[in-house]
Amino acid sequence: MNQPAAEAQSTLPGSHSLRSTPGSGSGSRQPPRTQSITRKLIGTVLLVELVAALCVSGTALFYERHAHFRAFDVMLHGRADSILGAVQDAGDPQDHVMLDKTELKTPPEDVYEVRDESGSEVGRSANWQGAPAAVFAHQDDGFERLRIRGAHYRLLRLHGVRVVDPGDKGGGVPRRVTVVYGSPTARVWGAVREAAEFNGVIDLMLLLITGLVMAWLLNRSLIPLRLLAAEASGVSVNSWRFSPPESALRMRELAPLALALQTVLASLERSFDQQRRFVGDAAHELKTAVAVVKSSLQLLAMRPRTSQEYQAGLDRCEADCGRMEEIVYKMLTLARVDGGQPATQSPAATDLAGCARQVADQFESMATLRRVRIALSLAEPLMVRVAPQECMLLLSNLVLNALQHSYPESQVTITALPRFEHAELTVEDRGDGIDAAALPHVFERFYRGDASRDRSTGGTGLGLAICKAIVDQAAGSIEIESTLDAGTTVRVRLSLASTCPGADQLESSVPPED
Amino acid sequence: MRVLLVEDEKRLADNVATALRDGPGFAVDCAADGEIGAYYATGRCYDAIILDLMLPRLSGLLLLKKLRSDGDLTPVMILTAQGETHSVIELLNAGADDYLSKPFDLGELIARTKALIRRGKGAAHPQLKVGDLEVNTLEQTVYRAGRLIELSPMEYRILEYLIHRPRVTVSKRELLEHLYDYNWEHHSNVIEAHVSNLRKKLDAASDQPGIATLRGRGYRLIGDRESAV
Repeated sequence: MNQPAAEAQSTLPGSHSLRSTPGSGSGSRQPPRTQSITRKLIGTVLLVELVAALCVSGTALFYERHAHFRAFDVMLHGRADSILGAVQDAGDPQDHVMLDKTELKTPPEDVYEVRDESGSEVGRSANWQGAPAAVFAHQDDGFERLRIRGAHYRLLRLHGVRVVDPGDKGGGVPRRVTVVYGSPTARVWGAVREAAEFNGVIDLMLLLITGLVMAWLLNRSLIPLRLLAAEASGVSVNSWRFSPPESALRMRELAPLALALQTVLASLERSFDQQRRFVGDAAHELKTAVAVVKSSLQLLAMRPRTSQEYQAGLDRCEADCGRMEEIVYKMLTLARVDGGQPATQSPAATDLAGCARQVADQFESMATLRRVRIALSLAEPLMVRVAPQECMLLLSNLVLNALQHSYPESQVTITALPRFEHAELTVEDRGDGIDAAALPHVFERFYRGDASRDRSTGGTGLGLAICKAIVDQAAGSIEIESTLDAGTTVRVRLSLASTCPGADQLESSVPPED
Repeated sequence: MRVLLVEDEKRLADNVATALRDGPGFAVDCAADGEIGAYYATGRCYDAIILDLMLPRLSGLLLLKKLRSDGDLTPVMILTAQGETHSVIELLNAGADDYLSKPFDLGELIARTKALIRRGKGAAHPQLKVGDLEVNTLEQTVYRAGRLIELSPMEYRILEYLIHRPRVTVSKRELLEHLYDYNWEHHSNVIEAHVSNLRKKLDAASDQPGIATLRGRGYRLIGDRESAV
């Protein structure tokens, strides 16, 4: 039996350090896959952060590439200008120009070519065969892309004018030349890639740090939840003590849960205590009743007695047994009423006024014997949602109580009248009343704090408790008012059957089970 | 001997009281609730108190604590329907001398009550002996110098009380208080008559006087090597 539980528990601690709740999977056969709030939160945050980082990095890279190429273009321009500067008068009679490479310092992988307006080559770098004619065909300055020896090059076409012999008469001869200068783009792309790599590393580090910090922070901020869970797991049938940790109560999200737990546990404890007390009281009552019978028999057997004495002793024993029977019967009644169906499912509608009349008839002879008059004030029919059996029990308990505590020549008044949406039943007597200190307890089971309602009247201490259980079951209310040496009034309010929702459907359903 | 029985279940109280009166011949007062019990106990005229735990008005435990805080040393026997160990421990720690759980055996209750009374008065054995006088409290028989002496119930009860307090002067008032319950009219001349009869019967078996009368103070059982006053 204990094996699966022990296994489940032993696997828990090692599964993950960020587990938010201990989670006892001991109850079910297959513990469901546990999920962690911490892990989910961290995952979500990291995902969002990753997307954000990708966007930022993409934009940054785009800008980086743009900036690098602008700088590259400026550099190309500069180099092309210096090539243009190196175009000089060839000194020949036709006033041709030539490229003087002596002062030129260009990177070895760069290429250039200069042509004059006639399209003939003025000069070019040694490392290529010259640009295709299409490059020179355009009249405007601009950039071209070209693959040279497998590498990507960016070419700048620049038109310029070189004046040959400017000192001559007429201002010399202007020669239009076109310079094409190219440089490999690999270095620019390399720089962009480096920037991208740098960005990537930073992003990764950021993600890692965020993850760790989140884990730490979440772990810390979930401490109240863990404390609450630990406190709650300490609650058992034997130990109801549950005081939510201060830290949990301070948290807006946890406080409702903690308070709800506290309330539920407190009321559960109360009802358990009540139950326990009832069992203890019932045991006390029954043991006392058995003690009475046993002592009666033992007393009878203490010495030889006459047959009359034996007869009287046996009669007493029978009376004692009768009392025990009554206690058992009432306890069973209470258990039945307690375990009955909730009010909304109560199937029968009973005439409260009719029940009152019947009970009054039943107690007529007892009332006459005690010289008490029973007065009725009834509005018939007064249908309430209580099983007929229970209704009779309620009334007979109340009337019997009233009769037992009435003064001779007094009157017990039973009224059953509609009052707003309720049926109100009052049973009023003129008698010894109940002590104010005892009044709040009279509905408690086996309560006999008041001497006037103790065993000497033959009560079991369960009559009013049964009444309360019946009324509670019907979702009604019962209250008691009493003045010592003046009398007692018990007032019961029950909802009228006609005002019950869905009364029509319920009317045809099965009668109450016994 | 006089016993106070505090029990709210009237039928049980009746049975126990009858058994204590019929059996060991104790005077018994019954109190139906804790407050009446506490009131009765203030007189300090009981040789033992039998106390139910669940009582109206004042619970048995509170009554017991009140008795002990008032300095009352009367042996207390508790009747309880709660069998739990902790309540028994609590009871004994609160000053109870013994307990019986319901439903109990009437014979056991009587025997335990007698033992409590005996112990309360410093005797260990139910057979008591002073000089040549022997009282068997189980059989309720009295021997003087080996001869059985027939006593009336009241005479026996007086002797039983005196022999539990040997060599102590017991006043008439004390005898009245410890031998009669509340329902009896207290007349000291009734005691005088009983003591006088008792003395006659005891002295018939021996040439030594058994009970000394101290005028105005009371009676005393005379021990072995004492001479009559």
